[in-house]
Amino acid sequence: MPVPILLELDRVSKRFGQVVIADDLSLTLEAGSTLGVVGPNGAGKSTLFGMVSGDVAPGSGEVRFAGRSLHRVDAAARCRLGIGRTYQVPRPFVGMTVFENTLVAAQQGGRLHRQAATDRVLDVLSETGLLASANTPAGRLGLLARKRLEVARALATGPKLLLLDEVAGGLTEPEVVELVGIIRAVNARGVAVVWIEHVVRALLSTVDRLICLAGGAVIGDGRPEDVLALPQVRQIYLGSAGSGPGGPEL
Amino acid sequence: MNWVNAVVQGLLLGGLFALFACGLSLLFGVVGVINLAHGDFAVLGAYVAVLLLPSTATNALWALLFVPPLFGFFGYLLQRTLLQRSLEISPLTTLLVTFGLSVVVQNGLLEAFSADSHSFNVGSLVTSSFKVDEQLQVSYLRLGVLLVAIAVLSVLSLFLARSRTGIQIRAVADDREAAQMSGVNTRHIVGVAAAIAFATVALAGLAYGMTAQFAPYSGSALLLFAFEAVVIGGIGSLWGTLGGGLILGLAQSIGFQIDPSLGVLAGHLVFLGVLAFRPTGLVPARAAA
Repeated sequence: MPVPILLELDRVSKRFGQVVIADDLSLTLEAGSTLGVVGPNGAGKSTLFGMVSGDVAPGSGEVRFAGRSLHRVDAAARCRLGIGRTYQVPRPFVGMTVFENTLVAAQQGGRLHRQAATDRVLDVLSETGLLASANTPAGRLGLLARKRLEVARALATGPKLLLLDEVAGGLTEPEVVELVGIIRAVNARGVAVVWIEHVVRALLSTVDRLICLAGGAVIGDGRPEDVLALPQVRQIYLGSAGSGPGGPEL
Repeated sequence: MNWVNAVVQGLLLGGLFALFACGLSLLFGVVGVINLAHGDFAVLGAYVAVLLLPSTATNALWALLFVPPLFGFFGYLLQRTLLQRSLEISPLTTLLVTFGLSVVVQNGLLEAFSADSHSFNVGSLVTSSFKVDEQLQVSYLRLGVLLVAIAVLSVLSLFLARSRTGIQIRAVADDREAAQMSGVNTRHIVGVAAAIAFATVALAGLAYGMTAQFAPYSGSALLLFAFEAVVIGGIGSLWGTLGGGLILGLAQSIGFQIDPSLGVLAGHLVFLGVLAFRPTGLVPARAAA
């Protein structure tokens, strides 16, 4: 029995003025699978997430989730359908505690009530290692905890698809290892993960499939090692001996 | 002994200011709209009560039950239509739009009710008071207004802290886009916040109408006092708003005690002092980014 398609981008295009962010982009993702996304800055990676999560409307083409068109479905409704996302720069509700931050997501995105919502929050906080700081105001958290909170909040909505936007950026090596462990466990529960990351090493230890975006188009798609070995990918990334600004940290 | 009286009367007056300020603070903190028509809507609330209910003492109290929910409904609709649209254009547009609403409300009231002052008939309640001693009399009505203000702020802050809707309101106030990404129907929640703000505005307008005479143009002064209470207390903090209202009331009352022409001016001076030396207000907002 074939694995059902969870996410489908059908010839999606988007431009901001003269800048092409997505150029006739097509992509399918199977339920429960993992996908890494690399590409230079301005390649359209975050916009891709925006078009899936509902922040950005595609100029043309269609995004489908679990067989259903997302045209005119707003971000909150997409979240309730099962699309969870994190922001590259964490955006916690700074005036609320870690618990409350996650509770909103469980109650609204996850549509849970009372005890069920609390249970979900406690599960997610323990999964992401935030249980000890449950009552800390999110504004007082450090970077690692904020990144974890982004993941916790997305998980609390009970997603089928988790969009991670550079959650490993700025973290130390042991912190990255911990985060990778959390994400792999989440995927093992059947949640599909799409992960944009400059820290390629973290990606390689997690994803089965990698795409490379450049100029709004997919220039490589396949097994991570194969994609990174493609000449066009090497040229964009490593052409000038090493990683320029925004290049991968190998 | 007159000073004790000034302090007590100031606190009682402050209750009214706090009630006024609560809606302004909520609308700015959650919705992001500085409502320049705030005072005029309060006065409108008082006129609506005059219009709907013939003036007898019991009816004036009935107005307390009917007018705030009516205004809440109106506030929700106004937010979902006009205010939401102007917010999407720019924050400055909301200033223009609410200023326009203020002009419309004032002139509409002038057209409908003439420039004469009105007041509610609350019967003997308006004059009845209890004596603490020879020089200190406390009006039941003004004490009632202060208690209502404290009750409204307490219920509201419990609601924001505990309830399913309250926590969404706080999330939306914090980061609207991130709230949406957590599944919050932000437009509806912002509408609910506006509804609460408008219900408290109406309540404040009714309280004002029971304790003083009001005319179509009374709203501008009320807006100023509400602003001052919010700024003194600290934007985004409900308890700060209560404190701000009480301080403003005290300042006016003590100023009045020094010289009857000083009352309002003393309030303005305290406001300017806070703005100059502690611009975040006495109780800074909870958010600590």
